[in-house]
Amino acid sequence: MFLEINAILIPAAVGAGIALVCGVIIILVFRFFSVEVDPLAETLENIFPGANCGGCGYSGCAAYAAVLADGTEKNTGLCTAGGQDVASAIATELGVAAETVVPVVANVFCQGTCDKTHERYHYTGTPHCASASGLFSGPNSCTYGCLGFGDCVSVCEFNALYIEDGIAKVNHNNCVACGKCVAACPKHLIRLIPKHELATNVTCSNHWPARVAMKACKAACIACRRCVKECPVDAITIEDNLAVIDQMKCIHCGKCVSLCPTKAIRQGLLDGPKIEALQKEKEAEAS
Amino acid sequence: MKTFLIIMLSMVLIDNLVLSRFLGICSFLGLTKSLKNAMGMSIAVIFVMLVATAVTYPIYWNILEPVNLGYLQTVVFILVIAAVVQVLEAIIRKTFPPLYEAMGIYLPLITTNCAILGVMLINIQEIYNFSNAMMSSLGAGVGYTLAMFLFTGVREKMEKADIPPFMEGLPSTLMAASIVSVSFMGFKGVIENLFG
Repeated sequence: MFLEINAILIPAAVGAGIALVCGVIIILVFRFFSVEVDPLAETLENIFPGANCGGCGYSGCAAYAAVLADGTEKNTGLCTAGGQDVASAIATELGVAAETVVPVVANVFCQGTCDKTHERYHYTGTPHCASASGLFSGPNSCTYGCLGFGDCVSVCEFNALYIEDGIAKVNHNNCVACGKCVAACPKHLIRLIPKHELATNVTCSNHWPARVAMKACKAACIACRRCVKECPVDAITIEDNLAVIDQMKCIHCGKCVSLCPTKAIRQGLLDGPKIEALQKEKEAEAS
Repeated sequence: MKTFLIIMLSMVLIDNLVLSRFLGICSFLGLTKSLKNAMGMSIAVIFVMLVATAVTYPIYWNILEPVNLGYLQTVVFILVIAAVVQVLEAIIRKTFPPLYEAMGIYLPLITTNCAILGVMLINIQEIYNFSNAMMSSLGAGVGYTLAMFLFTGVREKMEKADIPPFMEGLPSTLMAASIVSVSFMGFKGVIENLFG
């Protein structure tokens, strides 16, 4: 078989030529149009957890690092996922005094589990809180309460929320306080509270008068004012038929907890779902 | 004007890049979850499509065709498009930071996007002159945008729908895509009746 050498050489030469020209152009362009990345911003970005959760209020870790590096943002303690450790490390890198970070955690202000509330009607629409909420404020007897379809669970990237007994709960070990669930809840039940082992909260959001609230939910705050009178530091106030504990004043003495007639006040943060614990027990039994 | 209309109509509606020619399906399925992503990707595709045509068209007719190396077009175009995208990214990053923010992350995705390569090859196949080739690229980009926006609407509705578990995710998305694609078959024959 006669093989013409040019049939291989010419295409190879043309291909190689085009590749070479492309390569040279790329190198030239990258040299003349190189963007200098602030080395400080890069160092800062490496300190952040890299979750890109947006808890700091910027679009991601890189954006927050950039504004810190060029000095437009002075507060070093905005990273909710990193907490005090990251704030100190960032402050050291920038050469400023470390900001004290009050670690916060998401908390669901509702205890209206299935046994405490009842359905006003049977909802068969799409299983989303937002859609259920649009139909007569949802099927719950308490229209302030958690619908339990888990819109918050689906937005959480850290697996920190779970549904148990028909209401959402927060596993504080996983929560980084990015605030996505706060925005997702159509009932505005989730708020960020200072993280404390004995965090004491009126876990209810119902503003109805006592008589109506009691009918709707057995765990509703009825605004009886017993906790207000008992509180040694005057941290509790009644706002629109609902007791509210000022987390900054609260000393976590727990006096109001035992006093509350409807057990609307809860103390302590929640851990993971009960289901997991049960599964582990089962596994232990099996083995 | 007539050629322009014919090319635009055929690229946008009749031979829609995504829904009739089935090119660029990966980005079509991957980036239609929200309107924001779809918009960024579409702008980037239109932009790169035009620039890539302006580069590959002369390369084919001035370098490859005279030495009878037309068969090298696929290899050469892949190479050139990848280089063009890299160069564009660097230039935009330096000169138009806001534009880079808007479509920066989608540009690298386009490097290996079959939609771009497909349109480059179609432009050569149809033996367009340069201005018609540019028009066809613009039309293809607009068609891609149309498909992206239509399908984003469909997907946003599907998010709220109650889909059986075994159909969730890709299966239902692909079925929806095929139904949207079937609806575009209705445009077949429009050109013959309009201009024939």
